Amino acid sequence: MSSVSKSPWVIHYDGSSCNGCDIEVLAALTPLYDVERFGIINTGNPKHADIFLVTGSVNEQNIAVIKEIYDQMVEPKVVVACGVCACSGGIFHDCYNVVGGVDKAIPVDVYAPGCAVRPEAIIDAVVQGIGILEQKSAALAAAKKKGA
Amino acid sequence: MEMIVALIMVPCVAALLMLAVRNDKARDAIAIGFAALIGLLSIVFAGMYLGASPVYFELPHEWSGFLSAVNVAIDLTVGVFVVCYAVRYRRLLPLVLALIQIGVCLWFELTVQHGVHFESQMRVDQLTVIMALIIGIVGSGICVYGLGYMKDFQAHHPEQKDRRPWFFAIMFAFLSAMFNIVLSDNMAWIYTAWEVTTLCSFLLIGFTKTDEALNNAFRQIVMNMLGGIAFQIAIVYAALNGLPLLFSEFLTAGSASGAALFAVPVALLAFAGMTKAAQMPFHTWLLGAMVAPTPTSALLHSSTMVKAGVFLLVKLSPLFLVFPAASVMVVLVGGLTFAFCSFLAISQSNAKRVLAYSTIANLGLITACAGVGTPETVWAAIFLVIFHAVAKSLLFLCVGTAEHHIGSRNIEDMDELFERMPRLARFMMLGIMCMFIAPFGMLVSKWATLVSFSSTGQVVLLILLAFGSAATFMFWGKWLGKLAGIAAHRESEELTVHRTEWVAIVLMALLVVVCCVFFPSISSMFVEPYLLSVFGSFGATIGMDNLLLMSIIVAFIVVVMFGTLGKSKKKIVAPYMAGITVDSNRRVFKGALGGEREATSRNWYLENVFGEKVLDGPATVITAVVMVAGLAISAFAAPGVSGEVSLPMYAQLTSLNENWLATIIGIIAFVILGPIVGCLLAGIDRKITARMQGRVGPPLLQPYYDVRKLIAKDDVSVNTVEGTYITFALVFTLIAGGVFFAGGNFLLCVFLVTLSALFFILAAYSARSVYSEVGADRETLQVMAYEPMVLVVAVSMFLGLGVLGGLPTFDVAGVANTPLPLIVACVPAFLGLLFILTIKLRKSPFDLSYSHHAHQELVKGITTEMSGKTLAKVEIMHWCESVLFLGWIAMFFVWNNPVSIALAVIVALATFFLEIWIDNNFARVKWQTCLKLSWIVGLVAGIANIGGLVAYIFLVLV
Repeated sequence: MSSVSKSPWVIHYDGSSCNGCDIEVLAALTPLYDVERFGIINTGNPKHADIFLVTGSVNEQNIAVIKEIYDQMVEPKVVVACGVCACSGGIFHDCYNVVGGVDKAIPVDVYAPGCAVRPEAIIDAVVQGIGILEQKSAALAAAKKKGA
Repeated sequence: MEMIVALIMVPCVAALLMLAVRNDKARDAIAIGFAALIGLLSIVFAGMYLGASPVYFELPHEWSGFLSAVNVAIDLTVGVFVVCYAVRYRRLLPLVLALIQIGVCLWFELTVQHGVHFESQMRVDQLTVIMALIIGIVGSGICVYGLGYMKDFQAHHPEQKDRRPWFFAIMFAFLSAMFNIVLSDNMAWIYTAWEVTTLCSFLLIGFTKTDEALNNAFRQIVMNMLGGIAFQIAIVYAALNGLPLLFSEFLTAGSASGAALFAVPVALLAFAGMTKAAQMPFHTWLLGAMVAPTPTSALLHSSTMVKAGVFLLVKLSPLFLVFPAASVMVVLVGGLTFAFCSFLAISQSNAKRVLAYSTIANLGLITACAGVGTPETVWAAIFLVIFHAVAKSLLFLCVGTAEHHIGSRNIEDMDELFERMPRLARFMMLGIMCMFIAPFGMLVSKWATLVSFSSTGQVVLLILLAFGSAATFMFWGKWLGKLAGIAAHRESEELTVHRTEWVAIVLMALLVVVCCVFFPSISSMFVEPYLLSVFGSFGATIGMDNLLLMSIIVAFIVVVMFGTLGKSKKKIVAPYMAGITVDSNRRVFKGALGGEREATSRNWYLENVFGEKVLDGPATVITAVVMVAGLAISAFAAPGVSGEVSLPMYAQLTSLNENWLATIIGIIAFVILGPIVGCLLAGIDRKITARMQGRVGPPLLQPYYDVRKLIAKDDVSVNTVEGTYITFALVFTLIAGGVFFAGGNFLLCVFLVTLSALFFILAAYSARSVYSEVGADRETLQVMAYEPMVLVVAVSMFLGLGVLGGLPTFDVAGVANTPLPLIVACVPAFLGLLFILTIKLRKSPFDLSYSHHAHQELVKGITTEMSGKTLAKVEIMHWCESVLFLGWIAMFFVWNNPVSIALAVIVALATFFLEIWIDNNFARVKWQTCLKLSWIVGLVAGIANIGGLVAYIFLVLV
């Protein structure tokens, strides 16, 4: 296990969700689920975060925001779409202003469907994300070596 | 002798030539030539008299009468000049004062002075040499600077008649008068030169002849003529009572005899010195002097005018030991001026006013040092004079140049100067750093001041110094932050700076660096010989090892700042705006409410707390009362404690750790062990916090995993300097820890921690992100909040060690030599330290600038823009700080029994647990509460502990 897998810091962004998934994301941080056991911290600052949790679908208003947060995150980074709306647009998919799932804006690494997504599923998705983070980290290290 | 004549006459000749020459080019050439000549003369002069004991110069008797006549003529001319101006502009008060001055002068000359001869008229000692160097190099450098500046000034003010010949003539005349003051031994001559400087500054302040300038000029002349008349009366009193009229004889006779007759002239001379040194309540003339063109301000503040005031006070210092009434007056006025003006400076956004308040504050400190009058305080006072002269002139010149190029002298407009005028901003930063932060000269001098005040038990001064210094950090820190901001791709605006301005600025910057780096040599070559000749003992209070360490750090910072800063291969990214960034240089973003908006951030001025409206009135009244009381008591009651030193206590400072090896071993050990222990502590913290919240929490080594991950992240940064600043901050924390655990000087440790905090703050400001700026502002405020308490701890430790039967020392090793633990004598200081520990460990309720909790309203405060390796360094720094601060706690429980170390460790761990408990049980407070509570705690603990110990020493031990 590389260092990155033991300390995944997340940033959470709420797109156009009904707030159901957001509450579940925060539930994962509470004593009942206590994700800090895995070193997970909710940072609120893209520059400190490794994993981007997005809830809700992407719409015309927030697509640029999501892109900006993603760009501000420092490599290696992973995106987790939490809930069915974030995965595909969900029940809002044909609303007039909705673009669709998060993958319409930025590359998504892990999809965690559910309405609302359960905390266990979120934790599971983040753990999967950690695996991808490790691969990306190794790739970055290799690229650095090559560059240097 | 020829040298002395040359030093006085060459500037006079230059002044006359300046009047005669009307052509720009010719003026430049002549002024530069003469400035160089004056500088060279002062250096040669210094070389000739370096290390010599005081030299007296006798004048032939036939000359003496003639020169005295010239002197009186100059006196009268000055008076007549003022009378003419007062009549022309219809000012009553200056007129009356000038007439009094003329009257006293004539009466004195015709009846008393007539036919008196002196054996010597000139005197050179090491203080004279230092002052001559300052006047010769700094003063003439400013004249050169004026050449370019005044061209721009004339271009910016086309309505003004070109009166530059007059301007430069007065500037040079000023230098001549200053040389006269420092070289003369005849009090009447000193007085004459004294009045000439008053007149010169009157003419320079009123140079533009606007209403404002004239008002301020007349205010200046009224205040300084009051001082001048006091000087005159002192001379008359001395002459009528048969006291010596040669200054050197006056000083030796006064300090040897302590005769009551001296009390009045001493108090009057002190009053004269304080008016000239712009001490409250006479500080307004120096503030008003800011209307003058910048070279004038630079000259008045750094090398001339106000320095004449403190020169006189420093000279008088041996007498203050003998005359307590005058001493208390000078000490209190100086101390109060220092504290009040430092507070007032926080509320100013006009750069020149900030500089003015800072000058007055520092003059206050010098005045207070002179007033205490021990060799140690005088040592500090002389160094304050030297460093203030070089750093302040550098700052004034930089501000003047910036003003002409950015069109404003407001600090808010100096945003991004680091990019717009890269070289100038670096010089300005150097000047600012020299003014307030270790390892630069001013702070080392302040350190000496603190030590010397402690060893003489000056309770009031210590408290004033602690709070004033804290305010100093605030107002310089935030200005520095404004300068440090970097936005990409701004065009340089400094291509049109005149070459003469660069020459002068670079000269001053070099002087700053040279003085800082060669601090130890200046001490042994100039200052100590002077103290030896006056007091018979050396006054150095800082160990040579610490001075050398400071020198090394200065050199290191300067090399990096001017050498490598800005050369980095990191990927540059834009700052985080918490919205859709439109233009990161202008900080325009689209927020959740739609529409583009510009994020702006201003410095904190805290006008409701430190504004002129709040503080000016009380400060003026208090200092005025002190002055009147001091003069009255000197005149009517209890003058002079005959012949004996009047200090209630005078502890001899001891230094235990003069050992380089120990410090180096300590630093190496701390570099290895500090992060390990700190990491474990951070892990325990998170574990206990989780348990308190009913969670399992992360593994014990989680902080280590976090840092390893951060190091593995990609290298990106918002600018090229942030990482360098953070590296500085980390390195200085490590050195501070090493110094502490090696048993080194506690104050050095405190100052290094502050230096580290400054670089952390600078890194945040440099990002120019509104969120990190808010964090940096709050961090600055926090430093200001806890600094007084930390200094109280240091002083209490020093006094406590003495009381407990150990050696009074600031060295941490001292605690291991006492039969009882420090806590026995320092309970208030310990409780105060416990209180501010919450700020230093970044725990709620005082985690204003950044915290480890998920407070998201300000993103991540001071660390918002830091990522990857930089953030990892911040984390490691925080670990080391935790260890260091718990070490401070442990220090209170160690005594000369090795077992006590175990007890100390247990207490430290218990304290850490207490902090975690507080962290989890209190909500974050507003900054106002943080500042108010910390200062109240600092004040109460300080008065209780320092006052109590001094009272105990005075009443029980002596």
